[in-house]
Amino acid sequence: MAAPGYLCAGDANLLPATMNVILPDQGIRVMEHGPGTVGTLLQELGINPLEVIVSRNGKLVPEQTVIGGNDQIRIIRIAHGG
Amino acid sequence: MGFSAAPGGGPVCACCAEPAVIYQPVQKRHLCGTHIVRDVEARVASTIREAGQIHAGDRIAVGLSGGKDSTALLVILSRLLPSWPGAGLVAITVDEGIAGYRADTIRAAETLTGRLGVEHRIVSFCDLIGDDLDTLLTGREAQACTICGILRKKALTDAARAAGATAIATGHNLDDEAQSVLMNVLRGDLPRLIRNTGTGQSAAFLPRIKPLAAIPEKEIAVYLFVQGLFSVLPECPYTNYALRAGVRTMLAGFENLHPGTMQHLVESKKIIERYCAGTPVMGHLHRCRECGDPCSGDLCQVCRLRHSLGK
Repeated sequence: MAAPGYLCAGDANLLPATMNVILPDQGIRVMEHGPGTVGTLLQELGINPLEVIVSRNGKLVPEQTVIGGNDQIRIIRIAHGG
Repeated sequence: MGFSAAPGGGPVCACCAEPAVIYQPVQKRHLCGTHIVRDVEARVASTIREAGQIHAGDRIAVGLSGGKDSTALLVILSRLLPSWPGAGLVAITVDEGIAGYRADTIRAAETLTGRLGVEHRIVSFCDLIGDDLDTLLTGREAQACTICGILRKKALTDAARAAGATAIATGHNLDDEAQSVLMNVLRGDLPRLIRNTGTGQSAAFLPRIKPLAAIPEKEIAVYLFVQGLFSVLPECPYTNYALRAGVRTMLAGFENLHPGTMQHLVESKKIIERYCAGTPVMGHLHRCRECGDPCSGDLCQVCRLRHSLGK
């Protein structure tokens, strides 16, 4: 049992989850994000889901996918034209 | 909205138990990688069949910029083509001469045609008019898309004729088509709104077909991504000068809130087209007095542009 105010290893799920979010401009944001969805993340970032595709840990996922923990999220802008 | 969840916390495909990669809001379903590929190809095949866009023995010139839409178009057509005996493909890339943009997409086009074994021809604005687009646009940046559009169409048509093509296929998707409808309405340009170049009803035109016209832009990106064919390529530096950029953002916002908006716009255009068939608004076909190309007035757009550019 850890002293008051400290967390032990088993309490990892109580730690604020931090996700690495790679933005369309290649910038990286480390975000604290509780259990939420790709859709809510895009909404927080002010991004229209129709203008991007999103991968979680390298795999393409739809907006309804639950994300959090140590997920690596990549938001790729769909370039117009071509 | 309810959906079945995969072990990783994501929804699963409506057709199998695999994790979904996309949600289709109009169809209200999730699809996995395998099924979005099948679905996109089936809808393109259906567009082609319903509109009679390709026939046995055709030689289709595919406008291949190397960007996502034309890449998807060439991949899909190369897979579907055995359905039309004797039909063949030739890919045509127009190099407008845009620094920092076109070189990457031309390389992508060369790699793709090499992989698919499709004949590839590259033509340039320099060949057509003696200068690259960057030079032509000096001091005229706001007209970028108009000037580029006129010259690109001419370059593609000339190259397609030279290649012996019977039709030109372009990668316009549902988003492009809906944007064009709204732009023509905003400009009050009814003749352009109802112009249908897909039939080639006049022998003067090579038919222009748009097999991807029913596919949303995002589905095309996903179609390529799940097959390892999606590349992050630069966007044209002149995009922000275009009316289309504003219309694109606005329409994407509406589509996100009201799925089906884009499809409804395109369907509205088809209804107006039917009402206007045979009426004076369609205009008459003339021949350009300088180059002889078909046009709606005395001079074609290319010759008018040559004059204004002093070419």
